[in-house]
Amino acid sequence: MNWAQILGIGLFVSGMQLAMPTALAAVGEAFSERAGVLNLGLEGMMLGAALASFAGEYYAHSATVGVLCGVGVGVLIGGLQALLSVYLKTDQVINGIVIVIFVQGITAFSYERLFRTTKVSPEVPSLPHVRIPGLGGIPWLGAVLFNQNVLFYISFVLALSVWVALYRTRFGLWVRAAGESPQAADSVGVSVDFVRTLALLLCGAMAGFGGAVLIVGDINLFGLNVTAGRGWVAIALVIFGRWNPFVVFGGALLFGITDALQLRIQAASGGSNSAIPFEAFQALPYVLALVVMVIATVTARRSAQPSALGIPFRKGVTE
Amino acid sequence: MTTAEAGLALPPISPRAARLRAAGVSVLGVLLAFVAGGILVLIAGGNPVPAFRSMFSGSLGSPFAIGELLTQAVPLIIIGLGLALAFRGRVYNIGAEGQLFIGALCGGTILLEVHTSSELLLALSMAAAVVGGTLWGLIVGVLRAYWNVNEVISSLLLNYVAIFVFSYAIRRPLADISAANNLASRTIPDSTRLPSLPHFFVHYGIFIALALVPLVGFASGFTPFGFRVGMLGFNPDAARVAGVDTARLIMWLMAVSGGLAGLAGVIQLVGIEGRLDSGLSQNYGFTAIVVALLGRLRALGVLLAALFIAFLNIGGQAMSVDRGLPFSIVLAIEGVFVLFVLVAGRLSRTS
Repeated sequence: MNWAQILGIGLFVSGMQLAMPTALAAVGEAFSERAGVLNLGLEGMMLGAALASFAGEYYAHSATVGVLCGVGVGVLIGGLQALLSVYLKTDQVINGIVIVIFVQGITAFSYERLFRTTKVSPEVPSLPHVRIPGLGGIPWLGAVLFNQNVLFYISFVLALSVWVALYRTRFGLWVRAAGESPQAADSVGVSVDFVRTLALLLCGAMAGFGGAVLIVGDINLFGLNVTAGRGWVAIALVIFGRWNPFVVFGGALLFGITDALQLRIQAASGGSNSAIPFEAFQALPYVLALVVMVIATVTARRSAQPSALGIPFRKGVTE
Repeated sequence: MTTAEAGLALPPISPRAARLRAAGVSVLGVLLAFVAGGILVLIAGGNPVPAFRSMFSGSLGSPFAIGELLTQAVPLIIIGLGLALAFRGRVYNIGAEGQLFIGALCGGTILLEVHTSSELLLALSMAAAVVGGTLWGLIVGVLRAYWNVNEVISSLLLNYVAIFVFSYAIRRPLADISAANNLASRTIPDSTRLPSLPHFFVHYGIFIALALVPLVGFASGFTPFGFRVGMLGFNPDAARVAGVDTARLIMWLMAVSGGLAGLAGVIQLVGIEGRLDSGLSQNYGFTAIVVALLGRLRALGVLLAALFIAFLNIGGQAMSVDRGLPFSIVLAIEGVFVLFVLVAGRLSRTS
């Protein structure tokens, strides 16, 4: 096995690409959880947005329209989650599971309705790589970070702005208050329900953008299992990143590189007759997500979890 | 992730009026499911009346059709019962799909590798499947009970792991080498396959499923165990103060729901497939979540919901074949239905 080739620069280039959809969703989820809402509908948001972005780009022949459709559907599902978790105050775990089931059903139907007549499975064109002048010339780093497609750069900027929004703006302060001590936030005149709703819409937008990046920026076709549990992995990564969007984002990028590593080892080790079965490599990302989540949960000295996470806010009811 | 304040308030002993309202919501939900189905058929470019006609005749129109419906309901009932019980304790196991495959794999390994009398073999394989599903579920249960690791995510992630373990097993050690593609195991001995009911073509697994309904209903409604599960779901802190060993109870709930999913897996094997392949489950582990929620986490409700979902699935297949309409209409109906029941159930409680 040629380790130099496996561990070469290509590993990091493809790792970044693999990581981005999950990383975006994870950052969005971190934001909504910091506001106190456990959004388990993330996988549904990504899947719905993936189809919307695919259909948008396919029919409008425009990647921009595709991305906007994806973000739009993500926001819509975020609104549905807000209706259930913020206003109806039903169990947030059930809400998430129901949203995933609902979106899976609607997506399966929509996909069949839209693309059943096409004989070959449809594809959309891939985006060109844009080399950033100056930075793109930096050895190694230039190829990994500054010679990607345009969605990659937008993703980076968006993910970092979420971190800024959470820690450096008044709205971010409200969000953290709504998740940490909703009664206190309410007592100084912050509408907890409103803040949580906005946080969920933003989470939907990020997850929707993640779904769009997956389709428009990477895979260029759609299948009903295209998200392959990325939304769930993202939730695990939020726990791993201790609810800090910056750490969550970094963790997700590392996770993407590990994922790329297993794909490359799998490819280099000779397919179905290799000593280590390829299923072991396929299972690795899921095992890894589980392991990092367990380690993060077990080793947390002081819980970083927002105190009001998962608890619907009711005015005047103290915990 | 303990939420002392339950959003999904599960009244342990609900008054008559509340029960009637709940039943009303379910009936309304079934009506809405048909309306939604009609609209979806129109969107798909079909005519709802003949579409529904083939749905009914394909699932209820002949003994064979009814047999197919009941066959489909078997795994949904068995898994749904376990999930309903776990959900009552607010232990959200969404890993039943993986537990099913692990159960089938354990049971199947016994059937393929052990040589003894067929009755003993069948009993051993069922026991192995239950043990396999239980242990797979317990991974989640132990993590949740002792370190408060979120069981929704861990159980979901383990689904993928389970399916890769299963795929490996049927590709290498248990593979049928004569098969063109190695995507199935060797076939199990004919003598270990479950017989079918004459005329109806439903295997004897239906009796296991039906026997489990009152059993789980009794356990959850009339025993101290069931009462403790209700307490755990309603307020885990209070349950702990009242002397309930909540860690143990959480592990029990994961064990029972995992074990039942494993049992459903081996029943699919000996009742239908006759070999290990991916056809053992048509997403039953996930559909059973819908069944548990639609059944309002009650054993009898699970039975009715499983029959209704089986009706939708079998009828949907018939509709798809007869009228050339997409089968995914059924998936969309199920999604709308479960969302409606959640919202309407909530609204009916406040008004």
